Amino acid sequence: MGMLNKVEIVRKMCPVIFLLDTSGSMDGEPIGAVNEAIKNVLPELISMNEENPDNEIRVAILTFDYNVKWAVGETELVSPQDVENYWKNLDANGYTSMGAAFKALNEKLSVSKGFMKRASGSVAPVLFLLSDGEPTDDYKAGLQELQKNSWYKIAVRVAVGYGDFNEHILREFTGNEGTVLRTSDPDSLRNTIKFVAVTSSRVASQGSNVSTDTTNANPDDNTQAVADALENQGGALNAPLDPEDNF
Amino acid sequence: MFVPLKKNQRVELADGRTVTVTDKLGEGGQGIVYRVRFDDSGEERALKWFFIGYLKEPLKFYRHLEDNIKKGSPSAAFIWPEQLTKYVAGEPFGYIMKIFPKGYESFSKYLLARVQFQNAAAMVNAALNMVAAFKALHLKGYNYQDLNDGNFSIEPKSGKVFICDNDNVVGYGQKSGILGKARYMAPEVVRGDKQPDTDTDRYSLAVILFMLLVGDHPLEGKKTNYPALTNKYDLRIFGTEPLFIFDEKDSSNAPHPQIHQNALTMWKIFPSFVQKAFQQSFSQESLLNGKNRLLENEWFNILARLKSSIVRCPHCGEEMFLESDKISVCQSCKKSVKAVGYLKFPKRANREVTVPIFKGALLYDYHINSASEDFDTEVAVVLEKPGKFGLKNDSKIKWLITAPGGKTFARQAGETQILVADCKIDFGKNTAQVIVNN
Repeated sequence: MGMLNKVEIVRKMCPVIFLLDTSGSMDGEPIGAVNEAIKNVLPELISMNEENPDNEIRVAILTFDYNVKWAVGETELVSPQDVENYWKNLDANGYTSMGAAFKALNEKLSVSKGFMKRASGSVAPVLFLLSDGEPTDDYKAGLQELQKNSWYKIAVRVAVGYGDFNEHILREFTGNEGTVLRTSDPDSLRNTIKFVAVTSSRVASQGSNVSTDTTNANPDDNTQAVADALENQGGALNAPLDPEDNF
Repeated sequence: MFVPLKKNQRVELADGRTVTVTDKLGEGGQGIVYRVRFDDSGEERALKWFFIGYLKEPLKFYRHLEDNIKKGSPSAAFIWPEQLTKYVAGEPFGYIMKIFPKGYESFSKYLLARVQFQNAAAMVNAALNMVAAFKALHLKGYNYQDLNDGNFSIEPKSGKVFICDNDNVVGYGQKSGILGKARYMAPEVVRGDKQPDTDTDRYSLAVILFMLLVGDHPLEGKKTNYPALTNKYDLRIFGTEPLFIFDEKDSSNAPHPQIHQNALTMWKIFPSFVQKAFQQSFSQESLLNGKNRLLENEWFNILARLKSSIVRCPHCGEEMFLESDKISVCQSCKKSVKAVGYLKFPKRANREVTVPIFKGALLYDYHINSASEDFDTEVAVVLEKPGKFGLKNDSKIKWLITAPGGKTFARQAGETQILVADCKIDFGKNTAQVIVNN
């Protein structure tokens, strides 16, 4: 062992957890756009991890249709690199078990029996919800349970609504109008998912620079920090789709 | 409203010249950085394009940047704003700067063990270069405000440093509105007692040096290991109850044996004078009352001394830092090593200047000229033959040696002087004396 062979500096974990609606109405182009979007988000998360000595992003993906299933992160949160390496496209069919999804998330947002057991601790997680329609189960019971979870309370909560989604439920989930984005065509869905996921992951993992200008009554309102970022960087959404001039 | 730039888009600068966007270099919390090319000369630059929605007073910030451009860069180590884009009210703006030369890696990559220094000298050079840059910044009347790991890029071979993201650098007494990342902020700033200034920069510099050399954060130990890092804990760890992981009197925040492996293995490799410098920088006096922080000059001399303590372990051949006057333990093979003596120079910035008399130890221009800050140019090397040590003159100047009996003679460039107890060497612009250890 030489003096130059250091190990990676101790980092906190920054969980980025996707809750994705894979019900039948998402079949076809929409689910294709979701798959594309996630595949485009992963390299961004990988490069954030390579530049951030404070916090490390780890990912989980929960899909809900008939069933609720951890497509990524069944047992623990996964590095974005591993998600990329073992990626399998998501399929869409069946109902919209959103309430069950909230319950499943709630169980995992726990240090003792869930995702949050990293020895060096975690920063506020990102909770990303995608929905395209009405829940077919009792979403309310699930959400109420989740809202008592202290990780949920400090989390960056963002949502993307597609097509005939229920705006009210998404707002209830995020608790902040500014972090609910909506769209109704598949191309824009892909871009919106990427923009919201990347921006919220960046804010959560880098931690915002504290500023004297803001009189922040609730400094742990990370969702509001992301609402500001989405607003201030919103122009990125209007960028043209042609990969040639959109880098 | 913010609008990102597109490839091939032309942007007008304040002086009327134009640049064309060719690529995207990166994106951060404040804006996007593009690669651009001057339309007239074809020269390349980076263009930082701000998310103006974050700026409460965009024009004021624009004027601030204009001011910094006019005052100029503190030293060549800073990637300083060169010119602003043309200001149009309500529209985004940015500034151009030089692009990092190839071969430089972000400090983050070193902390994440993705990149490592080629040798110990390169690592210490990086620390010296950071200190020198800060000295230049403060001498020019600026302070940094939001110093953190993201500001530095370092060449692994040489330890040369470039400093970027200089937008928030301000003059004394001015406020940029930015406080910085809690992990690098002075505790009094985290507590909200004070705005960032030169003193708080010096704290942040000590944090950066500790992370560079030791590889962990100075205030993160077993006491601070909370499962969730919310604002409340940030405030406690970095503001109201900060405690150094190697505090001399209180070990309750010592490194966690399973987590802080760098701190546990690397701290021991450093000579006592470096450990003491960190213990002073992160003493309770410094953390709670903002006192006893080291000035850049003090760090500079401590680190120059560290550089001249680099030798190879005679048992295993690995590099190690050797104390001048006491036993050091090689952390590679755990064997003890001791120098027969050392060269003692006059103090600088009230800090000891010594070089162990040990095979391969080097003297730099810094040593033979008391006004020099050149820690790179080698001017002498300690040689060993059975039973004796010599100092070879690799400088261009003649040395005057005074033997213990008072006899004097000269050593020309290329000659080697045998080092005996109490002999004195006059290098012209500095002197040293041979001290033999017991």
